[in-house]
Amino acid sequence: MQTSEAASAPPSLDEKKKKVRSTIWVKLRPVYPFIVILAIWQVAAMQAQGNQGRLFPTVDAIVYRAWELVTGPMFRALAENPNLGLFDQIWKLGESPILLHTLNTAWRLPFSFFIAAIVGTIVGILMGRFAFWESFFVPLLSVLLPIPAIAWTPIVVIWSGIGDQTVIVITAFASFLPIAMAVWTGVKTVNPVWIRAAQSMNADKMTIFRTVVLPGSLPMILSGMRIGLARAWRAGVGAEAFAGIRWGLSAGIFDAQEYLDIAFMMVALSVLGLFGFVLEKVLFQPIESRTVIRWGMMEAMGAQDKKV
Amino acid sequence: MVTKISIQNLRKIYDTPERRVHALEGVNLNIEDGEFICLVGLSGCGKTTLLNMLAGFVEITAGTITMDGKTLTQDYDKGVVFQEYALFPWRTARQNVEYGLEIRNVPEEERRRISLDFLRLVRLEEFADFFPHNLSGGMRQRVAVARAMAFDPQILLMDEPFGALDAQTREELQELTVDVWQKTKKTILYVTHNLSEAVYLGNRIVVFVPNPGRIREIVKVDLPRPRDDLAPEFIKLQRHVNDLIRDF
Ligand SMILES: Nc1ncnc2c1ncn2[C@@H]1O[C@H](COP(=O)(O)OP(=O)(O)OP(=O)(O)O)[C@@H](O)[C@H]1O
Ligand SMILES: [Mg+2]
Repeated sequence: MQTSEAASAPPSLDEKKKKVRSTIWVKLRPVYPFIVILAIWQVAAMQAQGNQGRLFPTVDAIVYRAWELVTGPMFRALAENPNLGLFDQIWKLGESPILLHTLNTAWRLPFSFFIAAIVGTIVGILMGRFAFWESFFVPLLSVLLPIPAIAWTPIVVIWSGIGDQTVIVITAFASFLPIAMAVWTGVKTVNPVWIRAAQSMNADKMTIFRTVVLPGSLPMILSGMRIGLARAWRAGVGAEAFAGIRWGLSAGIFDAQEYLDIAFMMVALSVLGLFGFVLEKVLFQPIESRTVIRWGMMEAMGAQDKKV
Repeated sequence: MVTKISIQNLRKIYDTPERRVHALEGVNLNIEDGEFICLVGLSGCGKTTLLNMLAGFVEITAGTITMDGKTLTQDYDKGVVFQEYALFPWRTARQNVEYGLEIRNVPEEERRRISLDFLRLVRLEEFADFFPHNLSGGMRQRVAVARAMAFDPQILLMDEPFGALDAQTREELQELTVDVWQKTKKTILYVTHNLSEAVYLGNRIVVFVPNPGRIREIVKVDLPRPRDDLAPEFIKLQRHVNDLIRDF
């Protein structure tokens, strides 16, 4: 009774305003720490102007530099030839260095991760299913896991030269290790009651694996993939710099160091950060919310896995 | 009456590196088709072991189990309801009930019809498309009963299926179990610690004592159904079983 009365009464204007304000606040909440940091940066950079302006650029200078990096080649081409067609203008955008760096990182990293995910899943399953492969891989992986993958760069460079292949090998290797370990653990620790339940209904081994073990270990597998991606990201970015290749965001950052181009570095770093964020949002969160979260399997696993 | 299961001189010894456990010794039991048998006894007297041997989960050390006159094979059709929640979290209630039918390659439409029939039997029709984690503990066990029954098993093995539930839900599910049993006429073996539950459900109560686990006595329950757990005969029988378990 009371609720229906309250619902029919028109909400006062004040309340409405409050509501609008609070939804805006909810949306802005994750952004505001960045605004605070940027504001402090801006003030500090303005203080430093004059003596070291180039080494400590203001936020607006960085934003301007980003704009220039992206559109520079296009405007230069326009200046040379004012009759340039729209398609050619867009084509020229692709020549901007920051985009080239970004695109190179953008295909190499997911490609390497993809390879690692496939190989890691296969090896993890072999380990989980067959005692022979378990006793073969577990000692190997335990020794390899603590070694930072970056440390392999010189060897891989000597063997396979400077180029994409070196970065891909190191990135894929770095991400393969935790994925294989997680898949193995997941397959081994599937709730035995589920397996007995399937056995009691006369499911054969292969069917049990497909219909019980795989979905049952999905929370572990996904969290392994996530750790694998983070590792790939770190190793890939490091390998780009150490393998001495030309195109790639961190290769660009190390190049910019020679010219003391702080603004470029800040732009490239922001793109790197944005990348991880986008991968999380478009890759992991949709998969998780459609599977393990929907099935209530994350609570069972402990909340810490939600945020790795 | 036709003998469904015959257990003769059954023995089970668990041989683990740390210790040797004599879990069951000299177990003889004939179970008739359509009977509701309750197994009771103190913790560790081998009730789960017996059920697991019937389900084919653990090996027999000595003795024989026959079903319909033939030695028990691994892959006969049995329905098992576990004490823990054993539903697959990634399947909805209906898909859980359909699992056994999928294994048996029942066509999709028939699977759907059967699973809904059995969900109706446990009064969970409206929850067919819910995932287990959105169901209460009692509802989950009802789905588990439906899953075990939809498979049309020869026998139904239940190991303290409602042990983790609160008293009220438990009573509700006991009633439901009798209802399901009367409608499907399945042979049921039911392990419980709760003696009132045993007297309420069983045609016969098999009383086990430990060290080594063996049958002390088989108590026949001749009370008419539905049974009243406050009737003097009911309480007398419950006390009798209680004495059997404790004083030996
Ligand atoms: N896999 C196993 N390996 C070794 N010993 C076991 C194993 N399973 C059971 N046992 C032992 O066998 C004995 C009987 O166990 P069982 O689980 O059958 O008893 P129970 O009557 O079901 O007990 P509860 O009422 O506590 O469930 C116990 O002493 C137990 O420790
Ligand atoms: Mg038990």
